[in-house]
Amino acid sequence: MKTWQRNGILAVAVLLFGAARLPFEAGLSKELRDAGLTSLPMQIGTREKIGQTSSAVALGGLRTLVATFLNLRAFTFFQEQRWADVADTFDTIVDLAPRTRYYWETGSWHSAYNAASYFINDSKLPPLRRREAWRDSILRGRAFLERGIKNNPNDWSLLANLGFLLSDTNKISAFRSPEKTFAAAADAYTRSAATGKALPYVKRSALYSLARVTGEEKNALALARSLYAEQSNRTPTLTILLLVLEAFENPNLDTAARANELFKTPEKAYDALSGHWQRTRERFPVYGIAKGLEALEKTLNITAEKSIFTQPPPPQFDEDRWFSQ
Amino acid sequence: MTAKTDHTTHGSHLGRILVIAFHAFTQLVRMKVFYFLAVFAVIAIASNFFDLPQHEGPEAEGINVLRSIKSWSLGTMTLFSVVLSIVATALLLPKDVEDRTLYTILAKPVPRIDYLAGKLLGVLLLVFVSLALMDVLMTGVLQIRSSMVLDQQLAMAHSLGWPPAAIESLRAETALHGPSWSLQGAVFAVFLRASIMASLALLISTFSSSTLFTTIISFLIYFIGHFQADARDAYLQAGQAGEGIFARMATLVISLVMPDFQNFNVIDAVIEGQAMPILILGKLTLIGLYYALFFTVASWFVFAEKEF
Repeated sequence: MKTWQRNGILAVAVLLFGAARLPFEAGLSKELRDAGLTSLPMQIGTREKIGQTSSAVALGGLRTLVATFLNLRAFTFFQEQRWADVADTFDTIVDLAPRTRYYWETGSWHSAYNAASYFINDSKLPPLRRREAWRDSILRGRAFLERGIKNNPNDWSLLANLGFLLSDTNKISAFRSPEKTFAAAADAYTRSAATGKALPYVKRSALYSLARVTGEEKNALALARSLYAEQSNRTPTLTILLLVLEAFENPNLDTAARANELFKTPEKAYDALSGHWQRTRERFPVYGIAKGLEALEKTLNITAEKSIFTQPPPPQFDEDRWFSQ
Repeated sequence: MTAKTDHTTHGSHLGRILVIAFHAFTQLVRMKVFYFLAVFAVIAIASNFFDLPQHEGPEAEGINVLRSIKSWSLGTMTLFSVVLSIVATALLLPKDVEDRTLYTILAKPVPRIDYLAGKLLGVLLLVFVSLALMDVLMTGVLQIRSSMVLDQQLAMAHSLGWPPAAIESLRAETALHGPSWSLQGAVFAVFLRASIMASLALLISTFSSSTLFTTIISFLIYFIGHFQADARDAYLQAGQAGEGIFARMATLVISLVMPDFQNFNVIDAVIEGQAMPILILGKLTLIGLYYALFFTVASWFVFAEKEF
């Protein structure tokens, strides 16, 4: 056989071999993508950001390894407080390893917590710009987490982290509507609990957020009752919210008597109600609390000087003061 | 002595292939490739120290280190296995020509397919043994570290009075990042990818004139193989973006000629803590076998009438 004939046969064989395997590989590729076992091809922007060498390594089937290196680089940026670089690096990292919860959570944490806190104290910026940078960082952290959830819809921890961020009263003023934000937090916690993998605190956190949404009291009460039915859920916050929501449903409720029933003694009931009364910063509802406290003060013979109503409230969250200094 | 010679020359194909394979394996071992394992041990142990401060809840404490151990170890395994399979295969034929061993073997009634299959098997045996040793090291380090992480987490969960269901869920989630069958499957996928590269390098070396040429072309194909799926998708969805006929032809040729390595990136998912179903591993094995068989037969087709 002549060389050109041999080469011709070989070329045809390679093409036929390719045609035979193509449908099988295409099917497997789709199956793997649908199952979330392989990621989408690396974006051109990412290839440019990580440079030619890392790009080649990542394309060589080592995406997670490059992500690990970039995570170390991002940590250096964090130590140097180069927030734009931190955010940029995490954008690249999650493109390389979109299934790793840690990267989504860490990227969001750097933005919404570390960068935001940094801008509160950044004396190089005028107050208005500091406030804007603080707000932008929080919003970026939220958007990053939401992207993570879109990529990993069944990840309980990402959803719980979103709920935690949205129900953080130190950050609530960064969002346009506190009511909508608490509703979104409750939704995130509820979706996290629905995955069936979440830790027990997540369901309680859903209630804590839902209770702060006007118009959702009925749903919140139903949730509070179902959670309270389980002994391990009877935390002070949940118990007091059950009382508050019951008082909302029934304005004639004897809150002092109900508090005695829930907390066993008038002293414990008074402590719990006073504690809740002072948690104004967290925006929890206080239906029936004042009435209950007044009745308990009479029962326990608490003098006017020692009354919770005459005690100074704890320091308030004062965003204006943060940014005016 | 005579009996041995008879067995070698007149024995079964398998017998001859095994003799050549063990010879190739010994030849490669003498090149001190196993020294690399010392480097791997350092990497596997060093990856334990990348414990960055974490912000997540105590339930996630230490998980990132487990991921780091897997990522570094599997990354090193991939690099080592691909480099070894390409370079060792590219080296074998020219070295046999240089040492004149090839002439001695081919002068005997040894079918050329047996010679090629034996050489390839020798390389694959070396890659397999190296990966197995690295796997033992990685699994050992991961086992020790994941037990430490789990002990820490369970102590935290008990001190906080977590209910048994929550503790079980925590244990299951941490176990996903420890040694698992999926991780062993990922190591096997690394081997399969290396096997494809070795058989491809064998094919190239049958018509190549130098080791360097074989190595460079093989590495190029390895990288292009990670784009093949993009070309295939572009071809299968052709027309939607208004591509021209030449663009369509180019994507078709790449799809048909180049191997698809993107499916093997399932390894990344295992590093990220996902489970690899056995069916997927079975399909990857089928693909690996299909490529290896085709490239070996194609190598024989080229090599069969080659003059030395």
